[in-house]
Amino acid sequence: MARMKREEWYNIARDVDWTRSYVDEEAVFPEWLSGSGKVPREAWKSWDEPYKCAYSDYVATQREKEGSVYAVKAALQRSNIFESLDEGWKSTAKVHFGAVSLVEYLAVLAEQRMGRFGLSPAWRNMAVFGALDEIRHTQMDLYLAHEFIAKDPQFDWALKAYHTNCWCAIVGRATFDGMMMNPNVVDIAIQLPFTFETGFTNLQFVALAADALESGDVSFANMISSTQTDEARHAQQGGPTLEILMQHDPKRAQWMIDKTFWISARLFSLLTGPGMDYYTPLEHRKQSYKEFMEEWIVAEFLRLIEDYGLKKPWYWEEFLAGLETWHHSLHLGVWFWRQTVWMKPQGGVSKAERAWLQEKYPHWEEQWGPIWDTLIQNINAGNIGGTLPETLPWLCNLCHLPIGTAASPNNPKYPVRSYPLTHNGYTYHFCSRPCRQIWWEDKDMLHQKTIVEHLLTGEIQPPDVGGILAWMGLTPEVMGDDAYKYKWAEEYREPAPVAGAEGGSHA
Amino acid sequence: MPDPQPVPINAKFDDDFVTQLVIVLNTDTMREVAIKVAQHVVGKRLPKRDADMAVRYQGRDLPADMTVAEAGIAPLQNVYVDWVEKRVTL
Repeated sequence: MARMKREEWYNIARDVDWTRSYVDEEAVFPEWLSGSGKVPREAWKSWDEPYKCAYSDYVATQREKEGSVYAVKAALQRSNIFESLDEGWKSTAKVHFGAVSLVEYLAVLAEQRMGRFGLSPAWRNMAVFGALDEIRHTQMDLYLAHEFIAKDPQFDWALKAYHTNCWCAIVGRATFDGMMMNPNVVDIAIQLPFTFETGFTNLQFVALAADALESGDVSFANMISSTQTDEARHAQQGGPTLEILMQHDPKRAQWMIDKTFWISARLFSLLTGPGMDYYTPLEHRKQSYKEFMEEWIVAEFLRLIEDYGLKKPWYWEEFLAGLETWHHSLHLGVWFWRQTVWMKPQGGVSKAERAWLQEKYPHWEEQWGPIWDTLIQNINAGNIGGTLPETLPWLCNLCHLPIGTAASPNNPKYPVRSYPLTHNGYTYHFCSRPCRQIWWEDKDMLHQKTIVEHLLTGEIQPPDVGGILAWMGLTPEVMGDDAYKYKWAEEYREPAPVAGAEGGSHA
Repeated sequence: MPDPQPVPINAKFDDDFVTQLVIVLNTDTMREVAIKVAQHVVGKRLPKRDADMAVRYQGRDLPADMTVAEAGIAPLQNVYVDWVEKRVTL
């Protein structure tokens, strides 16, 4: 039997909807989930996805992609490639697995919410594909990480991290609950597919794929490249939603984008910045984090939002300044509080690496050099205890990253300081003005207790470093340590004095 | 005399890169507060210096002998500790 061409039936099939006669519209699409707001319900009929995809096409394409990922994995499984990978690169992979695997699963739920409560059948259709995509991403991440558990128990945190109180997991939960779990579907579409996936996942999946390939981790590169092909498709749910929202409520659109861009930028300065500028071996680095952000995120994202008639976010200058400093600060923090992570961060500050950092970031030595020099002196004096913490950094009530990490030392414009806010008699602290502003506007959606607050309310016992690590779920076999057992610091040792070189001749 | 009460503060030391949780007592003098804050930073992330330290709270430099209670430092507030003279210990 001859089959109809897709274009002959597609629009009819995807627009199939029901006129309900025995149940209220509000009962089926409650406003708190469908989130139409000022947009008349009729307006959603014009929702039109730029990428047309029927289920049969979807399955055929995905099958091919899956076959490719698992074939490469199977081939490499028989090699000794894992043993040959640089420890710094492995840390990048561990960060990805722990921080991303179950966030992919949260994205399943967000896509399903859009697939159920989106006010256009075409949108709901696309969202179902999005949910299937995200199931695939969760499975790939967990499957690839699982293979390495026998060789390195830190890979177990691909599944475990998100279920713990590790600070990284709290950062993730705070970010993604606000972006995917708590909002209505219109806000999800603007925050997740439009801002986060269109704006930022390139960073994790394109930049990191290049670094993975350079570092020899072909399987990982293949997996995240495959993921990005799905992201590029389902991210397109954002555009049509934004188009409609701009016609009826541009102020809401601007706010959702502004706040999500800021929170995402803070997150990626932790998730990707240290991986690109510190963990990837020097000889394999393609671009600095800042260069990549400027090329792929700043230019692309601005062009995109301006196409929709939106303005630059109000904090743009502060964000650009942050590309110079945030990830250096977070890298230093992760290394100093390394017992609190499930990977082995490397210092990444050998003399050659520092020269590279100084070339890419002209204020690097002035801002970060004195602190690293003090740490190096302690290492070389055998005082490792002096390089470990005895308290917690104060954490931002919005992004949950340490206060100070949206700034840098010796930086008159953005100095290390807290931006406090007293509300109902309680003082909250923020790393930056934008975090404070976003929290104030959206505190019902975004508020979670910080670890400092958990500690001060007596939930962490004993209230010391040991108690904090236990509360976070870090056990000795997975607790982070320096990737190279501090060997990188040896080149900074003062040369031993040559015998007889001082005090003249006694011969 | 009542027992000393702990006061958790959000403390920043000189050129350090983060602010930190430090528990001081309401009976601590500013000299003692400075030492408690410095112990998490000096010799760890910043070099030791042969210099005095000063405590600043709500924009005011506080006398070294003033206590936390006398200064009115409340829990969860920002406290800044800085070197008074910036001379590196050789």
